[in-house]
Amino acid sequence: MLKILPSELKLIAQYIYDISGIFLDESKSYLFETRLSSIAEGLGCTTYQDLYNKAKRDPKKAIERQIIDAISTNETLFFRDKGPFELLQHKILPEVIDKRTPSSPILKTNIKIWSAAASTGQELYSIAIIIKELIPDLARYNISLLGTDISDTAISQASYGKYNKFEIERGLPQKQLQRYFTLFGDSWKIKDEIRAMVNFKKLNLMLPFTALGKFDIIFCRNVAIYFTLPDRKKLFNKIADSLADDGFLVIGSTESLTGVCSRFVPKKHLKSLFYQKKL
Amino acid sequence: MKNLTILVVDDDPVIRRLLQQRLLKANYEVFVAPDGYKAEVILLDKHVDVVLTDLMMPGDIGGIEVLEIAKKINSDIDVILITAHSSVDTAVEAMKKGASDYLEKPINFDELFLRLDKIANVQTIFRSAQDLQNAMDVTEHAASETIQALEMKSAELQGKLDEVENILRNTRYSEETRIIQALDTIADLKD
Repeated sequence: MLKILPSELKLIAQYIYDISGIFLDESKSYLFETRLSSIAEGLGCTTYQDLYNKAKRDPKKAIERQIIDAISTNETLFFRDKGPFELLQHKILPEVIDKRTPSSPILKTNIKIWSAAASTGQELYSIAIIIKELIPDLARYNISLLGTDISDTAISQASYGKYNKFEIERGLPQKQLQRYFTLFGDSWKIKDEIRAMVNFKKLNLMLPFTALGKFDIIFCRNVAIYFTLPDRKKLFNKIADSLADDGFLVIGSTESLTGVCSRFVPKKHLKSLFYQKKL
Repeated sequence: MKNLTILVVDDDPVIRRLLQQRLLKANYEVFVAPDGYKAEVILLDKHVDVVLTDLMMPGDIGGIEVLEIAKKINSDIDVILITAHSSVDTAVEAMKKGASDYLEKPINFDELFLRLDKIANVQTIFRSAQDLQNAMDVTEHAASETIQALEMKSAELQGKLDEVENILRNTRYSEETRIIQALDTIADLKD
């Protein structure tokens, strides 16, 4: 494995930060090596400085994309910890549906949901499955489900909706696996009825995202932990701008907004927390 | 690493016995079944890591059906098909359906043991990944309870602080009254 020199750590850490907002501690040189050495070696680089130069000179930014893929963590599961999904099913969705259903029966109920660090799509598909099971007359709804992630590879896997048994077995109950997935050899592919409900696109959370519009529900779990505190503050401030005034925000179960964003108040439902805007 | 438990499914008693003896000698635990029905009974009753099944067997349950039954009972089970050279295409089809591997007849035991070693390795890695994941879940769960309690508490404190600030800034009352009201508000927190 290609060793990283102490003098290169700062350069590479800064470069990764610039392209992704992900802050890697310079003391963890093994992290740089395990994630980047195969890219460097594949490109015939003999140093990380060399990799940096090649990436900067690459007009198509293909190397940059490879580096982002390698650095971003794609650990994710279907229904990853039950709490947020039970919260969605029993508290958030019923309330949002109640608030958004127009008095006229000919008008559709509009609901916008965003999975801000969608990774390979498991979270958004889990949300889609809950919606499918909770709402019998989906035709009367206009539900937009958007998943975004910084990694092209993650987004293309999410769009394809195919998972191997390691990715699918934990978390997803057999009943839902059989109902919403089709077996292809050792992999499972999401069925079209669920696939058609969602959209995925690439997005770097460090950049402005007001163009996405306002959402009723935002899931932003376990991504801000990779950002510095100032960037975390900026991110949740932007999220507050993108959330409807009576909307709901769900963050990771070990994350906190204390000292990060005072525009949100935490609320507890059963064993889970969610956030709403302070009005 | 624990030894694998293997279920041999073959209608030919000679091959069945040969496989059983060689596997036992190599320290594997072995069950044998002459057909798919018996195989299913064993799979439902015993823990099996690997099914080693003949692809072509008389009757309505062949190797493909054994594969399907095994995967349905426990999707972690690895299935190796034993096939005549002429039916390699079928074996490849079977791998698309989730078989781990296939072996051509006559069985080369060195090759079989190599495949079994590989399966044992993968199963061990898979299990330790699951163990790690479970340990992480426990840690994460405990951490989240603590963090959420702190989060609620700090929101409550922030609310009180805002209240105290409003009281102290309220010039309609004398300074003394404001201080008393502020102290009362803080006192509520102590229980």
